[in-house]
Amino acid sequence: MIAYKFLRPDRTSLFTDFAWPAPGTWVEASIEPCRSGIHACRVSDLPYWAGHQLYEVELDGELVEQSTKVVASRARLVRRLEAWEDLHDVYTRMCADRGHELARSAAPPLHDWEAVIEPSIPEGPALLGFVAARIAEAIAGPPAYRTERARQTDWLAERLGL
Amino acid sequence: MTESDQHITCQEVVELVTDYLERALDADEASLFEEHLNFCDGCITYVEQMRVTVEAVGQIGETDVPADTREKLLTAFRDWQHA
Amino acid sequence: MPIQAQQRVPPVVDDLDVVGRLRAGDERAFEALIEQLHPTMLAVPRAHVRTRASAEEVVQDAWVAVLKGLDRFEGRSSLKTWIMRIVANIAMTRGVREARSTPFSSLAAEGEEAAVDADRFRGPQDAFTGHWNAYPRDWSTLPEQAPLGRETLRALAHELEALPDAQRTVVALRDVYGCRSEEVCATLEISAANQRVLLHRGRSRLRAALERRFDD
Repeated sequence: MIAYKFLRPDRTSLFTDFAWPAPGTWVEASIEPCRSGIHACRVSDLPYWAGHQLYEVELDGELVEQSTKVVASRARLVRRLEAWEDLHDVYTRMCADRGHELARSAAPPLHDWEAVIEPSIPEGPALLGFVAARIAEAIAGPPAYRTERARQTDWLAERLGL
Repeated sequence: MTESDQHITCQEVVELVTDYLERALDADEASLFEEHLNFCDGCITYVEQMRVTVEAVGQIGETDVPADTREKLLTAFRDWQHA
Repeated sequence: MPIQAQQRVPPVVDDLDVVGRLRAGDERAFEALIEQLHPTMLAVPRAHVRTRASAEEVVQDAWVAVLKGLDRFEGRSSLKTWIMRIVANIAMTRGVREARSTPFSSLAAEGEEAAVDADRFRGPQDAFTGHWNAYPRDWSTLPEQAPLGRETLRALAHELEALPDAQRTVVALRDVYGCRSEEVCATLEISAANQRVLLHRGRSRLRAALERRFDD
């Protein structure tokens, strides 16, 4: 199956430091119950894992679907989605604007929640995505967190052509 | 274990870090932990501090057996042999 | 940025072969075993006996007991684990005699202990409750080698000595001497969960001590 993966600029994984080979070369890993295996995103998972570079990956072998990721025993990078790098700041701004909009629309307005938004901008897309979704949850409860994340997914999917 | 099943706080991260490093979190908990680290520079720094601490502690062990201890133990070994 | 902690793997030794050589009077085999295990063994009694000298005596008594009990070693556990259990038993007995010891598992379960002071995080009435007020400092920006310099290690050794007994013992066995968690649990007869709590609390205190040192 086709999925997605965020990597650092040097093509290493954030949590394992694993250095991925160039696109085309297969990587294997055994899937243990809770931990190892190759992690990847479905489109709906992208906002949770936003990182520096985005790759399309092909997954094979054993596949386990979890709530915000897929774990595979075999995978290879297919291509880098360079369009994502152009979208970092735009996406971050979109999430920030959503955060402002949500906070101001609440009754009463959520000034303390809103105050976090602008200082968080330098930390980028992953943090602002969380901030916006968390503000949505503060207003309308846990389901609103997921709804806001789905909005983020739709925004990304449209602009990345996924 | 955590207040929400959709996200965890920094305060929860600092309590879960050992379980995470020990691979004792279940799949969902580990995922929430990593999602948080993905967006929180503060917690990435904290986890790195824990890693540095563990590495530093690994450098302070005494590995030498004092000579007189060694002599006493060898004597005990010979006594045991001849018992 | 590596996140996984590294476990030191103990040398692979054929246990029954070692036992055979000891029984045959091979002094070099005995010396090698002492080199390998004596420092680790010293970490165990400190939870039960008052002084370092007492701990030394416990370990020496343990070696005698190991030799006398060699005929009974069947290889069901590793030789190291078997030896560590002997140390633990003698330490407990001596500790009871010194009227200081409490059963190890009760040392583990005491109270709540926060890894980081609650005032470092946003409060229950704040937005984003539980998130950092101010991020911890990036130690990699410190002058080179500062985290692992001799002065720091000396201070850290001091802090380790100052930990509560149960935490010190687990941190020493796991992080100083590289024992695996199964070995520590078998030696101290505590559950994996218990062991993790002690490890967590001990490591958290040591991190906090380093942080205080670097923030000056």
